Amino acid sequence: MAVSRRRMLAWITGTGLVGSGVLSAVSNFVFIKPRATYGQPQRFSIGKPDDFPAGTRIALEARRICVVREGNKLAALSTTCTHLGCIVGLADTGFACPCHGSRFDSDGTVTGGPAPRALPWYKITLAPNGEIEVDKDTEITPGSYLTL
Amino acid sequence: MSKETASPSLLTAVKELPGNVWKSIFRNPLPTNDLERSSTSFTNFFLHIHPVKVHKNTLRPLYTLGLGLVSFFLFVILVITGILLMFYYVPSTTQAYDRMLDLRGSVAFGTILRNMHRWSAHGMVAVVVMHLCRVFLTGSYKKPREFNWVLGVVLLLLTLLMSFTGYLLPWDQLAFWAITVGTAIAGYAPVIGKDIQFLLMGGSTVGQEALLRFYVLHVAVLPAVLTMAIAIHFWRIRKDGGLSRPADADPTPPMEMMAAMTDPKPSLLEGKKTYGLQGLVRGPLTKVNNIPDNTVFSWPNLFMSELFVFVMTLAVILVLALLFNAPLEEPVNVMHPPNPAKAPWYFLGLQEMVSYSAFWGGIGVPGIFVGLLLLTPYLDRSPKGVGVWFSKDRLLANTIFLTFLLANVIFVIIGTFFRGPNWAFVTPW
Repeated sequence: MAVSRRRMLAWITGTGLVGSGVLSAVSNFVFIKPRATYGQPQRFSIGKPDDFPAGTRIALEARRICVVREGNKLAALSTTCTHLGCIVGLADTGFACPCHGSRFDSDGTVTGGPAPRALPWYKITLAPNGEIEVDKDTEITPGSYLTL
Repeated sequence: MSKETASPSLLTAVKELPGNVWKSIFRNPLPTNDLERSSTSFTNFFLHIHPVKVHKNTLRPLYTLGLGLVSFFLFVILVITGILLMFYYVPSTTQAYDRMLDLRGSVAFGTILRNMHRWSAHGMVAVVVMHLCRVFLTGSYKKPREFNWVLGVVLLLLTLLMSFTGYLLPWDQLAFWAITVGTAIAGYAPVIGKDIQFLLMGGSTVGQEALLRFYVLHVAVLPAVLTMAIAIHFWRIRKDGGLSRPADADPTPPMEMMAAMTDPKPSLLEGKKTYGLQGLVRGPLTKVNNIPDNTVFSWPNLFMSELFVFVMTLAVILVLALLFNAPLEEPVNVMHPPNPAKAPWYFLGLQEMVSYSAFWGGIGVPGIFVGLLLLTPYLDRSPKGVGVWFSKDRLLANTIFLTFLLANVIFVIIGTFFRGPNWAFVTPW
């Protein structure tokens, strides 16, 4: 079937214009999505191993993590409630969220309340300078400790 | 001679100056006859969105309750008070709260302007929802108003978004934790939830970037989008023939007149094409020879009604602003969330549902509800039941709608009054 020159030109022009529009819209969203954030970094040092003696269970509230040391093993758990983003507090048996009553055990497993998921564990590494680094962008299997 | 002639002319011009200026601005005198009443809508920029004549049914208070007008006037109040508040507000996590305190303690009329803004915002959400209910329950979404209904639903969502983005700006405990909870609900959406959250907050948590983005959305992006959507919404009302009305609202023209019109006399000039009058305009029947209808001139009937609605709206907002202060709690403390942290009241229904099921409560059910709302005029295409409250012809549609609405209202009430620490049930009394 023959396509007239005029129709062909119309299709090409139309496709070009629509394509430009779509490209422009996508560029807008790419612009708005930040490639670097000004807030708290997701990877940071929390100090040296000596700062966390055996038996430590301490919440670094500004970082929203809880550092746990058992013997020569170290772990960092999130203290952001998986329900609606509140910050959980340490409790005798684990963690408790004051916002809506979610409860977690020492490993972050949900033991009560509306939270749908367990508290994530974050990856910990020992930097060459001897400091402990936490990477909140990487979640690891609960129970995976870093051996010092 | 010439001097004497010029002098009176100049004096005359000076004397007539005020009158000439006045007439050049207000080109029509106050109407005293039908022609002048018709010209009013034609020639005035601010009034020309209105029709020349309006149906009596449209002016019945109990039919529309004026809810669309109230929504629009609340929006106008919000824009004006919002612009005034912008002169003092700074979208910085270190200054926003202090500026709110300054509004309260140092700025003349700061308190009442903030109160007006707050209560107009809450009021607009409530009135827009009621307007949607009115339109649905009177069957006013049917052809030819299907797309205008869709526009209305979009306007409701924009209103919710507008209110939500404004909720954070005071940067107090109430604002911070309500938005933390609200954005977390958005995060439950599958696949794109986290990205939406990240885009909205400009980071991983509610903070400076979130405050800045919410501010830009609240004062620049959403008002522009909302204004355009409102303009189109109003324009479609005019083009769709005004508000809906029941079939028996117009008197039936006498049969002899109809017969005469549908049987035009043959033209004396042979060879020319004969057009039936119906072909010249859209609509079932052409009005010729002053067939009686139930319309009245917009001036003064419609304009007086609108002025009344505006004055009442403004009066209510002023009274609320004088009696109740907008809340301002402690400054943001990330380490000490309130127990429980509650989303804004219009999202408390979602939060209540989220406490039963994260995905279904936060995304599934609301998605289905909004989807059904958008599809309503395309699913229910029977022309019956238009212009009547709770028409029997639309029993099923009304029942389903009221069920959804009532469920949401109940959830909001439970979330607001019956949820206490740890989201446990409490009795408010």
